[in-house]
Amino acid sequence: MRQLLKTFKVAFQAINKNRTRSLLTMLGIIIGVGAVIMTISAGEGATQQVQDQISGLGTNLLIIQVKEERRGGISVRKGKELTKKDYEILRDNSVWLEKVSPMIVSGGNAITSQGNKTTIIYGVSEDYFSIMSRDVDLGEAFSELDVQLAKQVCLVGKTIKDELFGGESPVGRTLRIDKVPFTVVGLLEEQGQVGMGGDQDDLVVAPYTTVQNRLAGSTNFNVFMASAVTEDKIDDAEVEVTDLLRESHKMLSNQEDDFEITTQVELNEITGEITGILTILLGAVASISLLVGGIGIMNIMLVSVTERTREIGTRLALGARESDILTQFLIEAITLSAAGGILGIAFGIIGNQIIYKATDFYIPTAGYAIAIGFGFAALIGVAFGYFPARKAARLNPIDALRYE
Amino acid sequence: MSDKKKVIETKKIGRIFKNGEIEVHALTGVDLVIEEGEFVAIMGSSGSGKSTLLNILGCLDKPTSGEYYLDGVHVNSLDKNQLADIRNQKIGFIFQSYNLLSRTSALENVELPLVYDRTGRFSNPKEMAKKALEQVGLGHRIDHKTNELSGGQQQRVAIARALVNDPALILADEATGNLDSKTSIDIADLFVRLNNAGKTILMITHEPEIAQFAKRIVTFRDGRVLTDEIIENRSTKESALRDLEATAQ
Ligand SMILES: Nc1ncnc2c1ncn2[C@@H]1O[C@H](COP(=O)(O)OP(=O)(O)OP(=O)(O)O)[C@@H](O)[C@H]1O
Ligand SMILES: [Mg+2]
Repeated sequence: MRQLLKTFKVAFQAINKNRTRSLLTMLGIIIGVGAVIMTISAGEGATQQVQDQISGLGTNLLIIQVKEERRGGISVRKGKELTKKDYEILRDNSVWLEKVSPMIVSGGNAITSQGNKTTIIYGVSEDYFSIMSRDVDLGEAFSELDVQLAKQVCLVGKTIKDELFGGESPVGRTLRIDKVPFTVVGLLEEQGQVGMGGDQDDLVVAPYTTVQNRLAGSTNFNVFMASAVTEDKIDDAEVEVTDLLRESHKMLSNQEDDFEITTQVELNEITGEITGILTILLGAVASISLLVGGIGIMNIMLVSVTERTREIGTRLALGARESDILTQFLIEAITLSAAGGILGIAFGIIGNQIIYKATDFYIPTAGYAIAIGFGFAALIGVAFGYFPARKAARLNPIDALRYE
Repeated sequence: MSDKKKVIETKKIGRIFKNGEIEVHALTGVDLVIEEGEFVAIMGSSGSGKSTLLNILGCLDKPTSGEYYLDGVHVNSLDKNQLADIRNQKIGFIFQSYNLLSRTSALENVELPLVYDRTGRFSNPKEMAKKALEQVGLGHRIDHKTNELSGGQQQRVAIARALVNDPALILADEATGNLDSKTSIDIADLFVRLNNAGKTILMITHEPEIAQFAKRIVTFRDGRVLTDEIIENRSTKESALRDLEATAQ
């Protein structure tokens, strides 16, 4: 016991006497642990955000699109356009769909007295908001009547509010899309950034009738958004929509569908794949930072191994037992790894906060990232601090003293 | 004289170093008996095996053949911990190359043997280390780091470290190798006083004037004992200083 206390003192003296070596060792661990925590957490954060966004769309969403075929990177429309007739058939005859909204998407220049901005205009029906679970923060959504009358009203996203209305409430004010004036009736709830995707708040939503008449000059649609009555009826709804549309398009039984239906379940699978790739990529980055940290520590240890072996020889020659040496080096290794590990964790958490502050990309610090980081620190510390010492402590004192 | 206790007894000690195919016979059949209270100088040309022998006697190395008894204990059959305790309690070893810890103060270096003392016989390590340093004339340098000391001063720190745990046997490998003649004589005189106080001393030296302070000279050649003689006319500090002045003029 007395001996252990003395050995503790020896170990702390050794750390203190070789401050540069100790600091460099800790630096390697700090970088390794910090980088692991930051990269793993970033991966987790992105995955979570994408998943939140997708599930925020509602769990019983169906997206019905004109079939497109990719040829050398260019999309070629293969099927017929979706028509107003298609929409009415789905709306009136479907059993398993709760709601359906047509959607016509158009680009345009939004202009107010405070500036102008290129944005996306979605022409939809009044059901769009509930299908997409998109709430209205200020004002209210347009009504069925507004759609029927093709009123020049719209709702805007937060980005439009900030950039074209100076951050003030846009409700009741006028917004021109190209030459067409719209009265803003509502502000859409903020969605935020999708992981890697674009700004979800840079949009204008207007009745599809108005968009068709005044902006797009087309009577057809790109997409229908629909919701199934319940989540477990999504497959039935998909079959039903397929049948109804095939009938409406007068297709023969040997013809392939000229439209495509994507359901929430399939969306989840796709995002799962994407975020999986993301996690693997970030994992690779984390492994590289571990490697860099580890190599740094290894170099320092290799450089000091001669000096330390001689030190061990001296201690052995003066009467230290093998166990005294092992205890000393174990204490040194544990102290440096623990200190480095804790600082590394702090570094990782602070780094996450800084990224959050700078980019608004929230990164929850993953608990298992801390565990992996700390485990790594312990492993490196013991592997590079303890094992060389054990080898030296087993030598004849004179061989340790002569080590070169 | 033979009724005295044998501190060291070696029987046909040999040490062979193997470097791949090459074998170096550093020691061959060395029989040596050293009794309590002796003061022996070991001489011989470079490479004759002096250090090799002293390392074995100091339990830092093991012979490849032969038996070694220390205070009647058969050293060959001791385990590592027992050897460590012997080095710590019985032997004060002064290395040819000092082997001090770098970036560490003189005081802490001298304290080191006390750190590994398991008998609990020393109550105030700092005070003892300080006294040992004063003994070698370094009382004013105790807080200097090893690298801030001259070669001779480092050598004296190494000597103080060998004395601090009050060992019965002192083994010195060229303890005066880096000192000027005057300081060498001081150290030799210190050995004489320690010897008078009852310590058994073995010292390797190249300098005949220093060897002349001992009671007995053993010379080595090619790993074997060449001569083993009692010194009739021992030097004292005064006679040595007189001789030193005479040669200077
Ligand atoms: N670790 C070793 N490996 C191989 N050979 C060694 C080793 N140590 C010593 N020797 C050889 O053993 C022989 C005796 O060496 P030793 O160091 O005992 O000589 P020495 O008498 O102390 O010489 P010096 O007066 O120069 O210190 C030398 O030939 C040396 O090369
Ligand atoms: Mg030698």
